[in-house]
Amino acid sequence: MDQTIPIIQIRSCLLVSIQTELHDRLALDLQESIMERVRVTDAKGVILDVSAVEVIDSYITRILNDIGKSVRFMGALCYIVGIRPAVAMTLIEMGVELDSVNTALTLDLALEKLELLQS
Amino acid sequence: MKTVEIEIGTILAGTISAITQRSIFNRLGPLAAKPVSQLSGADRLAVMTELENSVRLFARRNSAELIALCARVLGTEAQPAAGAGGSAKSQASAMSATSAGAGSHPATSAGGAAAAQAPPSAKRLPIEQEKDIATARLEAWSESVRIGLSKFTSVKVATAVSELARNIVFYAGRGTVELRTVRDDRGGSGLQIIAVDQGPGIDANKLEEIWGGTYRSQRGMGKGLVAVKKLVDEFSLETTPGRGTTVTCMFRGER
Repeated sequence: MDQTIPIIQIRSCLLVSIQTELHDRLALDLQESIMERVRVTDAKGVILDVSAVEVIDSYITRILNDIGKSVRFMGALCYIVGIRPAVAMTLIEMGVELDSVNTALTLDLALEKLELLQS
Repeated sequence: MKTVEIEIGTILAGTISAITQRSIFNRLGPLAAKPVSQLSGADRLAVMTELENSVRLFARRNSAELIALCARVLGTEAQPAAGAGGSAKSQASAMSATSAGAGSHPATSAGGAAAAQAPPSAKRLPIEQEKDIATARLEAWSESVRIGLSKFTSVKVATAVSELARNIVFYAGRGTVELRTVRDDRGGSGLQIIAVDQGPGIDANKLEEIWGGTYRSQRGMGKGLVAVKKLVDEFSLETTPGRGTTVTCMFRGER
């Protein structure tokens, strides 16, 4: 199971689309490579697209929060985009918070917000 | 030699996520790796049934179109009638023939009619490694749609199963998750989830911390069990330190 999640640079943002099952090692690798890319590219924001993720449980939430925190420590902003309505409802019922990241409905909106911050 | 996975994967690409596609092919087992040309008639029907259920569940759009495309590739559509207009007609009949028992639209299959038709069943899934979590989750999802639970409830079921299966992998190493459809006294369908392991169990102090919300695990958030308890309609936990843990929970069908 040798796989990596690609990190794409758009202007001063990094885009990560999660299309695969996040397991322990992959999640750690992702967190590390995002931080490294933020440092190298001087990115202002990181956008994580989870629109392909059908179920977000407390474990995935914690991974997303951890990535958000580490990105914030480096002075950039982390946006989660594409959370499905049913997933949002489930997270509310579980009492789980996504409090270390910002959210936006779509990739476009997240980019817009990040661009606004820079001007 | 084009295998089922390659042919069907091409059709589903862009509409069904890679995660879900992998789970679908996992469920097909050895059939996924067979070349389409070497499938027997029964194989084709088995593949088609699985695809229909999954596509209707997960496709973000055009599920009917996708199913028709899959049927054409697998050759399970009805024999084309001779003459002009045959292809359109055969496509329609292939769909109606293979979608018997469930509405051709997701909204209708979630109704009470489907719930009444779904036969009770029980499935026990082994949970031994991380990839089994994804399989259990998908299995739970399709099972809850099959018995007529709503789309939102189905996501809750899948999330609860995901939490329980993750606990098994992280703390016990191995165990099973059983999905059992049950009838309640008013004739509605519900889904019972039983997660069993022979792991280390949870001692009384830790259990108190878990329910108090103060417990934090190394790998998770220490909130998995609390989250499950909030999601389900009924919850019970039996645990013996050194012997293992059994979590039983239940989703009732909504009316």
